[in-house]
Amino acid sequence: MNPIITLTLQANLRYVRVASIIACNVAEIFADFTCNSTDIAEFCHAYELSVSEAFTNSVRYAKPAQPEKQVTIRFSSDNNSLAVSIIDTNSQFNPVTQAPDISSYPEGGYGLFLIHRLMDTVSYTREDDTNILTMTKQATMTHDT
Amino acid sequence: MKTLLVIKKQEYEWLIDLFPGVHPLLVPICNKPFIEFLVDFAILAGSDALRIVSDGVLGDVEHYCENGSRWGVEISYGSMRPGDDISTVIDKNRRFCLDGRVIIISGFLFIRYNKKREYASLFASLPTGELLGCPHGSISLAGTSTTKTEAPGTLPFSLAALDSIGKYYELSMEILRTGLTHYVIPGYSSEEDCYIGRNVIIPKSAEIIKPVIIGNNVQIMTNAIIDRNSVIGSNVIIDRESVISGSIVIGNTYIGEHLEVKNKIAAGNLLIDPESGTVIVMEDPHLLTTMTKSKVAGALLRRLVHTLGATFLILLQLFPWLLLRPILGMQGKWKRKKEQYYAERQGKYVTLTSTTIECTGALSAFAKALSLDRFTLLFKVLSGKLALIGNQPRPLNPAIPLLPNSPAGYRPAVFSYAEAEEWPEIGIDTEIVEHYYAVHSDPLKDIAMTQKALFHRTH
Amino acid sequence: MNISEKTINNYAIVSLQGILNASSAPKLKTYIAGMPDEQSLVIDLENVEFLDSSGLGALVGIARKKKTGSAVMKLARMNERVKKVFEITQAYTLFDIYDDVSAAAEA
Repeated sequence: MNPIITLTLQANLRYVRVASIIACNVAEIFADFTCNSTDIAEFCHAYELSVSEAFTNSVRYAKPAQPEKQVTIRFSSDNNSLAVSIIDTNSQFNPVTQAPDISSYPEGGYGLFLIHRLMDTVSYTREDDTNILTMTKQATMTHDT
Repeated sequence: MKTLLVIKKQEYEWLIDLFPGVHPLLVPICNKPFIEFLVDFAILAGSDALRIVSDGVLGDVEHYCENGSRWGVEISYGSMRPGDDISTVIDKNRRFCLDGRVIIISGFLFIRYNKKREYASLFASLPTGELLGCPHGSISLAGTSTTKTEAPGTLPFSLAALDSIGKYYELSMEILRTGLTHYVIPGYSSEEDCYIGRNVIIPKSAEIIKPVIIGNNVQIMTNAIIDRNSVIGSNVIIDRESVISGSIVIGNTYIGEHLEVKNKIAAGNLLIDPESGTVIVMEDPHLLTTMTKSKVAGALLRRLVHTLGATFLILLQLFPWLLLRPILGMQGKWKRKKEQYYAERQGKYVTLTSTTIECTGALSAFAKALSLDRFTLLFKVLSGKLALIGNQPRPLNPAIPLLPNSPAGYRPAVFSYAEAEEWPEIGIDTEIVEHYYAVHSDPLKDIAMTQKALFHRTH
Repeated sequence: MNISEKTINNYAIVSLQGILNASSAPKLKTYIAGMPDEQSLVIDLENVEFLDSSGLGALVGIARKKKTGSAVMKLARMNERVKKVFEITQAYTLFDIYDDVSAAAEA
């Protein structure tokens, strides 16, 4: 995986959109070389949505004791897949993948489930008091020819 | 003209248990996904837009049909609530129904038609209201017609409700016997009643009797017989001396040796009797008896062969590994990752360090060609934790538990049978090929397969 | 996000425009909270460029509130990007979804 861009934002909901737009744009530039045109929109939307979810979670679970909190977004790629990592210094969490029980009208808890459904692989690691959530998707869509 | 397709989950739920993982609208009828028959009919009736409305999940259908550009018809999707009646559904799709006439097909129905007949002008002239109805659904027209004509006594199409596996089987047989020319059936057809897909291997000793439909990537082994009225799906292996007659073999199914499948539906490891609806888990008695007989002796011999093979490879790779490992490591092209995988024994795990060599430059290409990335794994063969050749180790994932008691067993290995056969290393195809070899392998064949894997990995 | 409102047949038609995510969802919640609980709603989503699960959560919350207040809440004119989130989470099972605003307000 070759690094593309690393971006550090203040952990504030105000910047959720910044993070997700950048993710969408990086995905678009990346997909331009590998996807056919109809798949690009879907590929970009997956990153836009996943980063929006992950960044929101990072801000939501930030410890109130640290006002100067930051969230780092790191993009890297190899030939045909693009990885984006969301890095924060919050406490360790349990990356549940379960779908929330929709019939009970839940207002939250969809984020990680959505990410798992949108991305090919999602991995969570804890390194030196930081959480690293890495999401990867293949750009070449497999279509029967 | 537009077509509105209204299908409730409750009407097709029975199919989900029989074909798990396949959306009922995508269940194949004569190797053609059910929805495609409806799309064909909508187009034949002069529709330029089709909307599929359901209270169930449509994601897979959407993924398959996309926006319909493949058929030259605009396909969109809508949702409804389980309690909605037809007029509510029309309200919810008012903009879609706004201009022109709309054919409303409601219910999980198969529409019998004949592609050679003219439907577009017929539907344009038919009066508004219900055209045909049955207890399971109806087909009706909304919007005002330009010309006023009475509905003809008999319409050139009829409805068949799909409400049981028996009906599904009956319908498939009906199409096979009398309707193959009425529909567009996938496959190459050089003679009547015979449709064969791409990449189908039929040995000389195998016998095929029409009418028959065979999908893509099908392997029929020696002396197998595909008797009349059979539908073989895609990615199927029919092993030697098995007889299939009057049966439907759903895609991605492996039919073992010496089996007789008559008037059944085979899907994965299920054998369904369409008449009674009973479901049997498929076993191949011949394979099981030979395997259990020599299990202990076979396992010992296999262990010995695998250990010797691994030792040989270690000696072979040792020198290049000592040489290339530090160089590539310094270049940062040697990536290692420690992960837990399922072990052969149920409920046990094994920690493996998987190596990936970044394939840039001559040195790393050379290292890859020699399979040096598997070097450290070979020691796990000596300690008995891995086999030399077998299944690709599956990463530990609580979301995807390893299926217990798979008849062929799961044997995590340094090299996989799929690699040896150059099959794609992911997905259901791999499972089939690994399953096949796991059943058919013996220690000698394992050596040949390891050689093949080593050779193929260099490319 | 911009919110505009009009009335058809006793339904408040709330049209949203822009992004509905964690930073804009509170605005929608506050806006709806300013209405009486028994006021029936149609939320027009045609101009929602982007919706994530925080936006969805807000809509689900409003739906629950309306349900307990025995009022009706409908959604109209959902675009493909928004639909995707409803499809994955199966949230479409909680809403009556129309492709036309006036049809939603009449029924």
